[in-house]
Amino acid sequence: MLDSVVAAETPEGIVLELRPAGLSARFYAFLFDWLIRLVVFYAFAFVARFLGGIGVAFWIILFFALEWFYPVVFELGRSGATPGKRTFGLKVVMDNGLPVTPAASITRNLLRVADFLPLGYGFAIISMLVRSDCKRLGDLAAATLVVHQSKPVPRVVLDMVSPLAPARPLGQRDQAAVIALAARAPTLSVERLDELAAMAAAVSGDEGKSGPDVTRRVLGVAQWLMGRRT
Amino acid sequence: MTPLQFEALYQDEWQELAGLLKNALDGKSQDAKSRAPIRGERVAALYRRACEHLALARARAYPAYLLERLEQLTSDAHQLIYQRRDFGLASLKRVITIEFPRAVRAHAAYVWIATALLVVPTIVIGFLVYYKPELILSVVSADTAAQYEQMYSDSAESIGRTRTADTDWMMFGFYISHNIGIAFQCFAGGLFAGLGSIFFLLFNGAIFGAIAGYLTERGLAATFYSFIVTHSAFELTAIVLSGAAGLRLGHALLAPGRRTRLQSLVHAATECSVIVYGLTAMLIVAAGIEAFWSSASWLPHPVKYSVAAGCWITVLAYLTFQGRSAD
Repeated sequence: MLDSVVAAETPEGIVLELRPAGLSARFYAFLFDWLIRLVVFYAFAFVARFLGGIGVAFWIILFFALEWFYPVVFELGRSGATPGKRTFGLKVVMDNGLPVTPAASITRNLLRVADFLPLGYGFAIISMLVRSDCKRLGDLAAATLVVHQSKPVPRVVLDMVSPLAPARPLGQRDQAAVIALAARAPTLSVERLDELAAMAAAVSGDEGKSGPDVTRRVLGVAQWLMGRRT
Repeated sequence: MTPLQFEALYQDEWQELAGLLKNALDGKSQDAKSRAPIRGERVAALYRRACEHLALARARAYPAYLLERLEQLTSDAHQLIYQRRDFGLASLKRVITIEFPRAVRAHAAYVWIATALLVVPTIVIGFLVYYKPELILSVVSADTAAQYEQMYSDSAESIGRTRTADTDWMMFGFYISHNIGIAFQCFAGGLFAGLGSIFFLLFNGAIFGAIAGYLTERGLAATFYSFIVTHSAFELTAIVLSGAAGLRLGHALLAPGRRTRLQSLVHAATECSVIVYGLTAMLIVAAGIEAFWSSASWLPHPVKYSVAAGCWITVLAYLTFQGRSAD
């Protein structure tokens, strides 16, 4: 698999695959959160002008809270992500795939100060680019990960293709490849699908041939491998 | 067994587990009484079954959608079953009465080093500036020095005389954001082998010493010390603690012992987080005292110094003795 994946083993002996979010996704999420904070900050500044000293006090405290605790509050919430992260399909989890703990969330967000240095999140960017799990310094110390929330994978459909027994015995990897091709079929253009199917034509005994008929037969083999017989 | 047979055979169990998980998670947002009770043993049993199915499906290279479905299911169940709940008032009480003072005592060596790093420059620079007041200009700008002098002078503009309730509140907000910000920086600076923490401690000590020495030389000692003496019990202690926590991080990186550097850092950060909770609370208390009590210059000095002595004794006794006999 080409994606960078962090494996987290559970006590039940299965491996959960976490897909760490890279620099660009996290940058957009950060920008989104930053805009939200800016809007809240100025909206409150507008209100605070009419409230006098107490208004200013709350305004300053709000600034402080937004700066340090905005991410903490959202990360400890149910979605485990700030609005920005949620918008871009990211969330914060512990290294072992569990929801982030309060101590870890606070640690990773206080250490933003260190990440920010020397300029504009310089150390954070270097750290995220160098490490395959894309952690910034705060993530390292808190043992947290920012991961992509998984998206549903399409089911293998194509019920209109009638199943066809493979022309020769297929190993597990070959079976998986043919089924994966069938799963991707609805998202591919007809020409590309024909091209790909031609490469797998050996499974239906059509080696060297290509065209819509071959494609249909290859997809038929996929249906057979999935377990359809009629 | 073909993927379709596999799915048909087990999907009732998967659906049941998904339903139970949804019930448990939705229940969180509704009130606790109206939802059906969570059947923990059933969730656990179905979760283990789903784990087996996932392992089988992976070993047999079943199609991606099937793996994905099982991965999602096991991951959701894993999150629900193994989640940690350290929120709540009971754990807050435990942090205040036991864990925070204990964590401070467990880091006594760091606390003493941080104290020295803050206090030594305070005393040295303080005396230097006291005997050669022009040296203040090498620490802060002339404007700032004049500002401080005016702030603590006996004139009408001085601190606490012209202040209204509004200004008190404003200063409360300022103290909170400013002081807690400094403490957090001091802690985070520890990530650079402790150098950041050392710098912030020395720097703040030097500034504080310079101003104290300067104002004392100017004959404003009475106003100045009566102003700072009460809240400094919380504020200076908290800054020292943030420095100590930062030093711990730095030490964990430099001398990881039998762990890897990363493990050592994570371990140190986890242990220090309790100190960070505690010092944040202390700084909020300090900001409250500084804004509403310290600034009240109509209070006679004996009262202020008695209360200050009480605060210092309470803070030090709390950190030294609280939570020793628990468990």
